[in-house]
Amino acid sequence: MSGSERMPEVKQEPQAPLLPGVVAVALSTAYLIALLAVEKQPLVIGLLAFGIVAVLAAHYMDWLDPVSRSFAEREGMLSAYAILAACVVAAFFHDNHFVLLLFVTVLLYAVATLGLNIEFGYAGVLNFAGASFFGIGAYTSAVLNTYTAVPHLLVLLIGGTLAALIGSLLLLPVLRTRGHYAALVTIAFALLLKTFLEVNDVLGGPQGMQVKGMSILGWSFNDNFEIGKIEMSFYLNYFVISMLLLCGTFVLVRRLERSWIGLNLDAIRLDETAASCFGLDIARWKITAFVLGNFVIGLAGALFGMVGGFVAPNNYTFADSLIMVSILLLGGIGNPWGVVVATFIVVVLPEKLQTIQEYRFLLYALIVIVVLLFRPEGLLPRPVRRYFPGGRA
Amino acid sequence: MTYLLEARGLTRRFGGVVALDNLDLAVVPNEIIGLIGPNGSGKTTFFNVVTGIYGAHGGSVTFDGADITRASSRAVYHAGVSRTFQRSRLSLPLSIFDNIMIGNHKRLNQGLWFNLVRRGEFKREFEVNYAAARTLIEVFEPQLAERMLEPVAGLPMIDRRRIEICRALISQPKLLLLDEPSAGMTHDETKELMDDILQVRDLNRNLTIVIVEHEMGLIERITDRCVVLNFGRKIAEGPYRQVAVDRQVQEAYLGVE
Amino acid sequence: MDVGLLSQYIMNGLMLGMMYTLVAVGFTLFFGVLDIIKFSHGDVLTVGAFTGLATYIGLRSVGVSSTPLLLLAVLVVAILAMAALGMLIARYLVLPLRSAPALNTLLITLMLGTVLREMVRLFYPQGANPKPFPALLPTDSINLGQFNLRLDNAIMLATGVAIIVGLRLLLNRTKLGLAIRAVAQDEETARTMGINFTAIVLITFAIGSALAAIGGVMNGLYYNEINFGMGLLLGVIGFSAAIIGGLGSIYGAILGGFLFAALQTIGAVALPFASAYKDVFAFTVVIALMAWRPTGLIQEKISERV
Repeated sequence: MSGSERMPEVKQEPQAPLLPGVVAVALSTAYLIALLAVEKQPLVIGLLAFGIVAVLAAHYMDWLDPVSRSFAEREGMLSAYAILAACVVAAFFHDNHFVLLLFVTVLLYAVATLGLNIEFGYAGVLNFAGASFFGIGAYTSAVLNTYTAVPHLLVLLIGGTLAALIGSLLLLPVLRTRGHYAALVTIAFALLLKTFLEVNDVLGGPQGMQVKGMSILGWSFNDNFEIGKIEMSFYLNYFVISMLLLCGTFVLVRRLERSWIGLNLDAIRLDETAASCFGLDIARWKITAFVLGNFVIGLAGALFGMVGGFVAPNNYTFADSLIMVSILLLGGIGNPWGVVVATFIVVVLPEKLQTIQEYRFLLYALIVIVVLLFRPEGLLPRPVRRYFPGGRA
Repeated sequence: MTYLLEARGLTRRFGGVVALDNLDLAVVPNEIIGLIGPNGSGKTTFFNVVTGIYGAHGGSVTFDGADITRASSRAVYHAGVSRTFQRSRLSLPLSIFDNIMIGNHKRLNQGLWFNLVRRGEFKREFEVNYAAARTLIEVFEPQLAERMLEPVAGLPMIDRRRIEICRALISQPKLLLLDEPSAGMTHDETKELMDDILQVRDLNRNLTIVIVEHEMGLIERITDRCVVLNFGRKIAEGPYRQVAVDRQVQEAYLGVE
Repeated sequence: MDVGLLSQYIMNGLMLGMMYTLVAVGFTLFFGVLDIIKFSHGDVLTVGAFTGLATYIGLRSVGVSSTPLLLLAVLVVAILAMAALGMLIARYLVLPLRSAPALNTLLITLMLGTVLREMVRLFYPQGANPKPFPALLPTDSINLGQFNLRLDNAIMLATGVAIIVGLRLLLNRTKLGLAIRAVAQDEETARTMGINFTAIVLITFAIGSALAAIGGVMNGLYYNEINFGMGLLLGVIGFSAAIIGGLGSIYGAILGGFLFAALQTIGAVALPFASAYKDVFAFTVVIALMAWRPTGLIQEKISERV
């Protein structure tokens, strides 16, 4: 056998068509605009019911398979279409503060949950304090913006770094132990951080702190602006930067998964003993995943602090961390598209259906229980790793 | 004579049970040596101690001149020892290619910058290794080479064993430890598997193999000699035909009259 | 510090240790029998406490006023109800997931804990606010020099000790206990010996949950108040106690429970300026202990076969 110089001939399968994916994106965009636009509760309920029925119907008519193949192989093009779709939605609501704020919230929660996905979904490190690290980022913005003149983009990076650092301190002691130790440590951290924030008046105590809005090179993000004669909500500024962050994170997560590092993380998650017998440094990769993941979470949190304008301990509780975990499990653990879709569902639903706001922790916990019992792989199951989809492998 | 792997007075206890009892075992380079003995005689424990999963309570293990008694599993792998497991430990949700690549860890570039940023170079390394994995699995089962990106979960036991062996071989180890590779397979499948292993060994004369087995026909066919364990001690050593008629060995397996 | 104050601290520490132990024993039983972490255990304690309170209110409203009777009823109802709840959880949530990765059981019980907690908060009348819990034990105290020994605390401590001793006797001297220990050691062998695996699992969960109910009522009697979030922190503490003691070992749970209480007491004495810091102190020490002795101070049962 001549060895490694001979390139294998893998039969070139025709690429999956782009159309099913484009149609799915277009329909989802239209649906999302409608959902965000309606206000009357009966209309909302009707629209939601319609959505569920439509998806179920598509499932039974076998229309969903071509869509997922489309996404699997033509992801690059379809991502571009998805970005375009997001811009269309933003343009449609260009002067609606409430909807744009909701949209930006979804984008930033999606970023944070993608970070959690790196830790939880790929490396199998159980982090039940996701919201706490998000909060650390937000508080970093609050403190730095109020007391210092650090440029705001740098504040974001510092927020991410701080979350990564604190996370590492937390995780290092329990790296060589079983999974449930990391769970315990992060739960304890989530509970104690909230109490810590509440008793510290320097950080605003239970009422929290105000956060000065973002401004880059003199352009203030908190002022409405005009294009031509059209008045634009200032949230569009945040929309742009959040989209950039989401796209960057998405690319990071994708490349991470489709690399030897992604393979290492999977190997560790699935069988640590076998992984070390093949040379993997378990501690190194767990820490890598945790640092990367927490950096992303902190970054998103720091931006979110500036978007919302204030931070308070009550927004970053253990229950909120469980919501992030719910998003991950509902969407499909390990699948970034699943994370994005599930974030929309989990964040938008209680805002549109005011009645369930109060019940959302209960509701999402129940949904996750059902998912774990009957469809543990989630709404969009994670497909087998294709290092270079759409081509040979 | 320099041994590739040498255990001297190796001892390992589990609570009150002495799994390895002052064991002396030496493996000559390039040989295929069988490790046999009744259930519970310490064969898998020996593998586990050599590969650093369990520590030793006494004695020493030397590999290729270096003392690996206290070495971690990682270090043992990097020194050139690869293994399979008694109950097949593959990552079921991952593809055939992924599983094989896990075994190739030391020959892949693990840098963050390389993997995340230098995608062009990564692609080249990927292609080279994809070809290597294909070539290897073709030796065992050409059909699997066409299904490299399928998850392992749906495959029959014999294919999984083949993939496990490929995982152990891909890094071109000096020493291969096979733990009951024929478990769960039919007679014909076992024969096929052994032919494939011999074929691999023919292609790579530098490979030394230690094989734990219960199937004596297999041991007789492919090993150069055997070591027999009982209660963690070596009770016989020599070519299969010789140990098969050894009184002590027969008593160990069948009990004393 | 004067003897009186010191004794107060010690008494408090003993009470806390007792309550943590009751929770930790539950965790250790569940882990021992099924190799799972039931994260909803603390919230079962909460539900137990609220069930007891509801029983009390219900009985008072129909005119029952005898304190011993009320106490008995509160305990009996809480224990039976939580035992039933524990069995339901085992039957419908935990056993079905036995072949799934262990992570799924951890997650499902974590979510279940949230469900229980939220249901108390949302559906118990004004559940979001702390509720006063009646004083059903004699509140007189005996004067021992500089120290006032409250009768109710003494009774609760004694009861706790009795329960733990009783549990040990159950596990070590009865056929049921033998069956439980057999299943904890090796499920397959236990089954081949004729032990009804499912029944044993359900009974173990019932026992563990009953202990949680007692812990919940005790908590209410000690603080004279309960709230929907009480089980969360207690559960985390109980779990850590079980871990540092060594998961799977009853002695370990006892050791861990009292150790944690001792750490909290030391923390409270050393850092009097904010009570929150005593928890931070205790957890920091616990995490350091976990790093030093990952399998616990008493060996955790090794369940992985290589």
